[in-house]
Amino acid sequence: MGTFLLRLPNPVLVCALVLLGTTPLAARADDPNLDGTVRLYRIGRTVGDTGPLAQANALQPRTAGVDGSVAGAQVELRTSASVSAVQVHASATLQTQQTQGSASETQSRFNEAYVAGQAMGWQWSAGKKVVSWDVGYAFRPNDMVQQEVRRTLASEALQGRALLMAEHFDADTAWSVVWVNPTQERAGTGAQEAAVAARLYQHHGALDWHAFARHGEHTATSLGAAASWVASDALELHASVRAYRHMDTLASGVTGAAPSTADPWHATLSGAGQQVLVGGTWTSESQVSLLVEAWHDDTALTDRQWRDWTARNQALPTWLPKGVAAAAVAGNLAWQGKAFGVSNSLRQDNLFVRLSWQNDRWLTALDVLYTPADQGTVTTASIVWSGERFKLEAGLRAHGGPGDAVLRQLPVQRQGYAVVTWAF
Amino acid sequence: MISLSIDPSKHATATTATKSYGWWRHRSLTSTARSNVAVGLPLARRGEGVGGSGGKTLASLLMVATTLLLGTANAQDITALLKDADHFRMSADNLQVETQVTVFNTDGSQDKERRYTVFAQSERKSLVLMQSPVEKGQKVLMLGDDFWLLMPGSQRPLRITPMQKLLGDASTGDIATMNWAGDYSGQIVGEEACQPEGKTTCLHLSLQAQRKGVTYQRIELWIGKARHEPVRADLFVQSDKLAKQARYVMDKPSNPTTVTEMVLVDQLSNKKETRIRYLSRKERTVPPEWLNPMFLARNPALE
Repeated sequence: MGTFLLRLPNPVLVCALVLLGTTPLAARADDPNLDGTVRLYRIGRTVGDTGPLAQANALQPRTAGVDGSVAGAQVELRTSASVSAVQVHASATLQTQQTQGSASETQSRFNEAYVAGQAMGWQWSAGKKVVSWDVGYAFRPNDMVQQEVRRTLASEALQGRALLMAEHFDADTAWSVVWVNPTQERAGTGAQEAAVAARLYQHHGALDWHAFARHGEHTATSLGAAASWVASDALELHASVRAYRHMDTLASGVTGAAPSTADPWHATLSGAGQQVLVGGTWTSESQVSLLVEAWHDDTALTDRQWRDWTARNQALPTWLPKGVAAAAVAGNLAWQGKAFGVSNSLRQDNLFVRLSWQNDRWLTALDVLYTPADQGTVTTASIVWSGERFKLEAGLRAHGGPGDAVLRQLPVQRQGYAVVTWAF
Repeated sequence: MISLSIDPSKHATATTATKSYGWWRHRSLTSTARSNVAVGLPLARRGEGVGGSGGKTLASLLMVATTLLLGTANAQDITALLKDADHFRMSADNLQVETQVTVFNTDGSQDKERRYTVFAQSERKSLVLMQSPVEKGQKVLMLGDDFWLLMPGSQRPLRITPMQKLLGDASTGDIATMNWAGDYSGQIVGEEACQPEGKTTCLHLSLQAQRKGVTYQRIELWIGKARHEPVRADLFVQSDKLAKQARYVMDKPSNPTTVTEMVLVDQLSNKKETRIRYLSRKERTVPPEWLNPMFLARNPALE
C-alpha cells in the first residue's frame, strides 16, 4: 500500500473527517463543508469453464483464485475547508465487503488528502490527489499520473496518488508539473513508480491540444500528445498518442510445453513502444450518443506471444498421462493466468463502441469491446436512474467470441451488478 | 434612418412603410428589407418599370443603399432591444447567480429540484457549479461556443459538443446563458398579444442564432413594449423543432426591474414544467484562471 493509504481504525478515520468538515479549523476556516455518499452494491459473477484458470481449478480445486460474487457497503466522506490562503481537501472511504465463500472484510482508506494554494502565480497541491489526464474514454495512454483502470463495471471513487503538483493557468494555456510518488521506493512499478510528469494544455477555439512528458525512475522518458476537436454541434473527435522508452510489464521466462517448477512470470521492463488512440462522440438532439474508439497498445502481449501462450495452455495437460502430478500441471496453468495482468489492454488492437441514451432521469447504455485479432468481445448493458439523492445503477457484462479468444479465457465470463447510492 | 428620401411608391416595401402605426412598425418594415438582403433577392430588379432606363440604375442603386442602411439600422435596433431585455436577467457584466431549478410533472407534482452556482461573466463566459447532492462536484464551463464538463470524481475536464450541453429539463444553456444580444439577430415581427389569450400587447421579435454554440437556433421572443422586459419565448433547437416554451416572471409586474423566475415547458417529449428561480445575483468577477478549462479540476474557495 502506498505511503498515503493510511490504515487507521475506522472510527478514527470517520472522526478525523467529520472534525475536518465541521470544526472550523481552530475557528479560522472559511465555509467548511462535509458531504458524501453511502453505496450498497452487489456484484454477481459467473466463472467460465474455459481458459487456464478454469482448467487449473478443474484439475485441482482452488489452485487459482478467482473473484467471486461480492456484496458490500461503502461510505464515502468528502470535506474541504480554507484556512487563510490554504485549502484542505480530504475524502475517505469506509468499506465492508462480503465475498462469496469468505468472511466479511472491513477497510478504510483516504482517497484524497491534500492541501492546495497559490504562490507567485502558480497553483500548488501536496498530498494524495486524483490527477487524471488525456482525452479518451475507454483507453487513456497519457493518463500518466492516475493511470486509471478504465471500463470498470460500476463507478467508484478513485484513489489519488501521492504527489506534489504545481500548475499555472492563463486564459488559454495551462502548465502542470507533477512529482508523483515522491516518497515511493525505487521498486515501485506502474502507477506507484516515482516519476516527474508534465502537461501543457492549449485551448485553440474548437480544438484542445495537450502535450505530455513523463520521466520515471526506471521506465525513463515517455512523450505524448492528445487533441480533442469539436467538429460540429454534434460531433467531437479525439486522438492521443504516447511513445515510451520502457514500460513496467510481466514476462514469462518459460516457453514451450514443459512444466515449470517455479512461477515463470516476473516483473520486467519492456522495450520502446507506442500507444495510439483515435475516437469520436456523436450526440443527437434527443441525447442519443454514440462513442467509437480504436486503439493500439504496444504494452499488451503480441499476437505471437498469445499464440505461444495458447499452445502452452493446450500442452500442459498432456503431461498428466506422462506422470506429472495434477497439482503441478494445475499450478502451471494457474500461472498462465498472469498473462491477463500484463497490460490494461489484453490485445494490442481494440475497438470500442458505446451507444447511450439520456432520457430525463434515465441513462441507458450498451457498449462492446472488440478485439479483431481473435474476435473476442465484451458486451455491457447498463442502466442508471438518478433521483434527488438516490442513484440506482444496474448492468450486465458478458464475454463472447470464439472459444480461443483471449477474452473468452478470462476466469469470470459473466457479471451482473446493482448499486444503490444515497448522496448527502 | 427613416429620414432618407425615397419615393415610397417605387418600392413595395417602402409603400407599406408609409402605413406607420408607431415606431416599432418602422423597425418591422426595415427588417423586411434586411431579410431581402439576407436571402439575396435581386433588389435592383424591384426598381424596374418605375423610371426610364437611365434613372433605373440610379433608382436601383439608391434602393440597394437604402435597404442596406435600413437593414443595418434594424440590426442595431434589435441589438438595442435585446440588450434592454438582457438587462432584466443580467444586471451587470459579471455576476454570481444562485439558481434553483425545480421540475414539475404534468400533474403538477414536483419531480426534482437542483441548485446551481453560476458565474456569468462578460464575453459569453460562464462557469456553472452543480450544488445538489446527487450531482455535487459536477461543473460546466462555457467559453463562447466552446464547452467543457467535469464529472464528480473524475478530475478530468471533458470537451463536450453543443448537443451534449442540452442535457436535462433545464439545459446548462438555460441556466448559464443570460444574454441574447450578441448571440442572436433578427427582426421585429410586430405588435402582438403578450400571451395568446391576453390583452396586453408586446413586441414580437424573431431571432436567429448568430453563433453555432447557442442552445437554441431560433427564438420567437415577446418583450414589453415600454421597458422591453422579456415576457415569453418559443425556443427552437437546430432542427427547428419547438423544444421549450418559456415564460419570464418579473419582480414587479407593473414596474419590472429584474427577472425572478423563468418557467420552461418542454415541448419535445415529456411536457414537464421547469422553473428556474434566480435566488440571488451579485456582481462578481472571477479570476481569469477559473475560466481555463483545466482549472475545473481544482477546487477554489467560492468566497
